[in-house]
Amino acid sequence: MTKKTGAAFPYVLLVLVAAPFITMYVGFFLRAFGEGPQLGIFPERFGLSNFSFLWEPITWGLAETTIWVALANTILFASVSGAVVTVVCMLAGYAVSRIEFKGKNTFLVLQLFLHAVPGQILLIAIFFLLYYLHLLHKIPGIALARASLEIPLGVWMTKGFFDAIPWDVERAAMIDGCTRLQVWYKIFLPLVKPGVAAVFIWGFLFAWHDFIYVYTLLPGTAKLMSTLIQSLLATEVIDYGYLAAMSLLYMLPPLTLFVLLQRALLKVPIFGGKGI
Amino acid sequence: MDRTLQWRFIGLDNFLRLFGVSSRDPFVPRIIRNTVIYVAGTLPLTIFGGLFLSILSMRLRRGMGLFFRSIFFIPRAIPPVVWGFLWAWSFEGTRYGLFNGIRSMLGLPVIHWLIKYPMVIVILANGFLGISLSMLVFSSAIASIPTDLTRAAEIDGATRWQTTRYIIIPLLKWPILTMTAWHLMSFVNSYVYIMLITGGGPYYRTEVWSLYAYHTAFNRYRYGYGASLTTILIVVNIVLLLVVLRTFGLRRMIGRGKIEV
Repeated sequence: MTKKTGAAFPYVLLVLVAAPFITMYVGFFLRAFGEGPQLGIFPERFGLSNFSFLWEPITWGLAETTIWVALANTILFASVSGAVVTVVCMLAGYAVSRIEFKGKNTFLVLQLFLHAVPGQILLIAIFFLLYYLHLLHKIPGIALARASLEIPLGVWMTKGFFDAIPWDVERAAMIDGCTRLQVWYKIFLPLVKPGVAAVFIWGFLFAWHDFIYVYTLLPGTAKLMSTLIQSLLATEVIDYGYLAAMSLLYMLPPLTLFVLLQRALLKVPIFGGKGI
Repeated sequence: MDRTLQWRFIGLDNFLRLFGVSSRDPFVPRIIRNTVIYVAGTLPLTIFGGLFLSILSMRLRRGMGLFFRSIFFIPRAIPPVVWGFLWAWSFEGTRYGLFNGIRSMLGLPVIHWLIKYPMVIVILANGFLGISLSMLVFSSAIASIPTDLTRAAEIDGATRWQTTRYIIIPLLKWPILTMTAWHLMSFVNSYVYIMLITGGGPYYRTEVWSLYAYHTAFNRYRYGYGASLTTILIVVNIVLLLVVLRTFGLRRMIGRGKIEV
């Protein structure tokens, strides 16, 4: 083997493995912007008719909705979930970082255990919990359930943020007469601002991407983006271009958020979430 | 408990049924076999595929390596529904599916991928999802290996393969163990992508344990039996978790201030 072929070797292997995936992604993209039947990668002609859902109602079977309702529902769901995760984790993370209490280590280990058991197998239990609490089939109720699954890892994450703050800051504030909550609110939150944003976006993204909870716990016509795409996929005649276009719209907000807030998100293990 | 949502005490009936003592559930052996095949397929794919891709891509120039790594990271960055849709569409059985379209352009007959090889498709879809994470972890571990070590090996006359085999892979022992444990648990429990791509079909050929539990509870409305199936799964999980904690050392995990995935 000469030196030149030796250097090309990894490229060849990687391209071979990546080729089907690149084909899939490119085909998907072209499909979204194509019109007419598509054989292989290239559509007959390019156009925006697949994006007709932006101005026309969407129908599947006998049901009908518009994209804006679905988008609004998804935003509501993801924001509630993200907000709950942020508030709970910020308080809990502060407590486990700064206050010594009985059973703290047990609590932290329990959080790890809870994180390790994937959330999607707890669905039956969650279903009954929400049923008895009369929260089933309501978006905020399901957002609450969704948020609870991200909290275990979130507590560890925020604990890390608070651990990085020196004790002197807190002591000085307490000598000046702050209570615990005031310290948390006035001193700590401003100091971990990027962390707050990161935790919120992290909760928001996982709720935005969520499918199985919404699909199971929120049946019927109150559609979110993920279940809307799934129900269009489950019909008899599937318009793949239409679906590809809708998927692009669905992926756009998280990608934008991600690009805009990359710096803050780099501090967060983005891939440890449940339901993935 | 069934669709009336009325609670009725039946003792251990569900578990007896599950273990085939009374009124046997005919699907259980098949489900167990499917689950074993599924996990045995996805786990090596994730670990060895991730190793392979990370070692190769770390050899390239920075930009090119990053390009390939982002291509393989995409599955984790896009929503599950879109990933499921992508696979369902690419391997659709008619000419309008992506790969069948390419085949028919080349004049080849169409293949009914999802009917002929449902398990292979499902394993690939989930395996590459696992690869996206394991590859990232392995690459960052490789990047943190001091260059002195590889340089020294090079000077001693080691080939590329020898450097990889005797320097890099032994140093990756810890990430490999972590990723194996993590993905073992995640694959035992995963069913969302299977549900989206094949729905457990055709005729239970890709129905794994967790998906069967889901279908029993939410499609056949037999919540009680579904919960029993899930209970078994949770017991399996706890056993796996205890094994993992024993091997990795619980104390070290608590001792760390931050959690690093």
